[in-house]
Amino acid sequence: MSTAAATRPATKKASATRRIDWTKVASYLVLIVFAIIYLGPLLMLLNTALKTLPEFMKNATALPTTLRFENFADAWTKANFPRYLTNTMIYTASATIIYLITAVFVAFPIARGYVRGAGAILTLYVIALFLPVALIPQFQLMLGLGLYNSPVGYVMLFLINPIGVVILVNYVKTLPRELDEAAALDGCGYLRFVTTIVIPLIRPAIATVAVLHAIGIWNELILPTIYLTNKDFYPITRGMIVFQGVYGSNWPTLAAAVLIMTLPMVIIFLVLQRQIVSGLTSGAVKG
Amino acid sequence: MVNYHFGRGRARLAPYLLLLPGFLFYLVISLGPSIATAAYSFTDATGIKGAPVHFVGLENYREFLFMGQASRDNYDALLRTLIFCFFVTTIQFTLGLVMALIVNQKLKGVNFFRTIYFMPVILGAVIQGLIWSLFLYPMGGPMAQLIGLFGLESEFLGGQPAQAFAWVMFVQIWANMGITMMIFIAGLQTIPTELYEAARIDGASSWSVFRNVTWPLLTPVTNTNLLLNLIGSLQAWQLFLVLLGYRNGTQVLGYLIFAQGFGQTSGSVTSSFRQGYAAAASIVLFLLVLVIGLTAQTLLKRREERIIG
Repeated sequence: MSTAAATRPATKKASATRRIDWTKVASYLVLIVFAIIYLGPLLMLLNTALKTLPEFMKNATALPTTLRFENFADAWTKANFPRYLTNTMIYTASATIIYLITAVFVAFPIARGYVRGAGAILTLYVIALFLPVALIPQFQLMLGLGLYNSPVGYVMLFLINPIGVVILVNYVKTLPRELDEAAALDGCGYLRFVTTIVIPLIRPAIATVAVLHAIGIWNELILPTIYLTNKDFYPITRGMIVFQGVYGSNWPTLAAAVLIMTLPMVIIFLVLQRQIVSGLTSGAVKG
Repeated sequence: MVNYHFGRGRARLAPYLLLLPGFLFYLVISLGPSIATAAYSFTDATGIKGAPVHFVGLENYREFLFMGQASRDNYDALLRTLIFCFFVTTIQFTLGLVMALIVNQKLKGVNFFRTIYFMPVILGAVIQGLIWSLFLYPMGGPMAQLIGLFGLESEFLGGQPAQAFAWVMFVQIWANMGITMMIFIAGLQTIPTELYEAARIDGASSWSVFRNVTWPLLTPVTNTNLLLNLIGSLQAWQLFLVLLGYRNGTQVLGYLIFAQGFGQTSGSVTSSFRQGYAAAASIVLFLLVLVIGLTAQTLLKRREERIIG
């Protein structure tokens, strides 16, 4: 802005070219500064993971003299990764699949008005963002049902995602209604219509919701802290916090462990970036 | 009622039956408990299975708001929640907008920058927190070494409560700025380019283009971002757990609820689980979210009507 003001007295053409240049320079400057803030900690994590502890203590920012991959092997076994990663994958996959199947059958009839009070039901999903945290009564309920410290109970907690339902409803609304009529005329039943025709057609929305939901489960820390006391049931997030408690001062090993945990997320992110972004920003534009 | 094509009579029930599992799960596990929080806030419930639960009226609220040192600590936590909300919302909103404007230009490599700014969003509180607790390790950690070059010293997360608190805000903004930015970008891309061209031809400066074209047309996403940031930051507390633990002088309401309801570190079920009390604290937080959220929404609606009509 200040550059624009400063160059205004100059001739129109000169000011235009100069202004564009300065905007560009300033833009790149900001971009690079922020890139350092965003990537710096991650690169430092990698740098630390490749060092020995004495090396780290001597000089935290220096590059490692020799690349030590032992930290990764160390972290892998000490942090009990095989167990925790398997648990996390089982929780994430089972809850996401069950959730999606049930969610499609909630979203489709709401979007089409095939159930009475569709609008009211949708409202119940929309207000979820504002409601008080369900933690305490939910805990009492699970305790009463004998689902405390149980993997099955833990998965049940993730069969819910109100935003996902809203995204699916919005997407179904873009499908032409004639489709339903034509399929019904051909003698297609409701269940078969939804499974063989609707689901393939709303695949983009399903992918978006699936990715969002899975990331949420993968990263969840509070619920395992509350519900799972048996170490054998820990997901990776809880395992990492426990590992940090024990190896908190051994930064190279801890850094390696954090990297092992980060890598799958970064890969998933880079591959599915479009779905993730559209999921997180959907609805925002329509207001 | 809309025309239903898939049969009559009993076949008419199919959508209801198939909707039931998902909807029941939602009612029983999420919506029901959420509403039942209000009921629990009037009881002395603990986390012990089979322990009797008594109705205690407003006792939990009285204790939370008016009883000795504990209630003073609660007010401090309440104030801290508001401070956290104010700074996180203002900074994250502003940065998100500025970065969206920069990244939305036709510059080489903007996709790369966009990607890295957004990445922390999907990493989750555990990774976000651990990355920064390494980076901010006070005894010779990378950041300590960096500022050491300027002869400075800091204990970062281990320092005075106010300082540690400020660093948590920093990490919170670092972690979530990307989503605010992405929502702004989505909004920017709905603005027709002809409008910008027209403004340029009229010789408008970049500032006046922003002021008169971009900013008013961004109103819907501005509203969304502000509301999401306000509500999100009022409820956020996971980074406190990972970065600081339950430390005096840094607690916010969300963490207080968790600590009271489930013990500070959790683990086994003990009598220190004051779930009735924690439920009352949840309702206090809920009311805070409601009042701030509704006020913001009313003001934003009024502004939107003024601008767009």
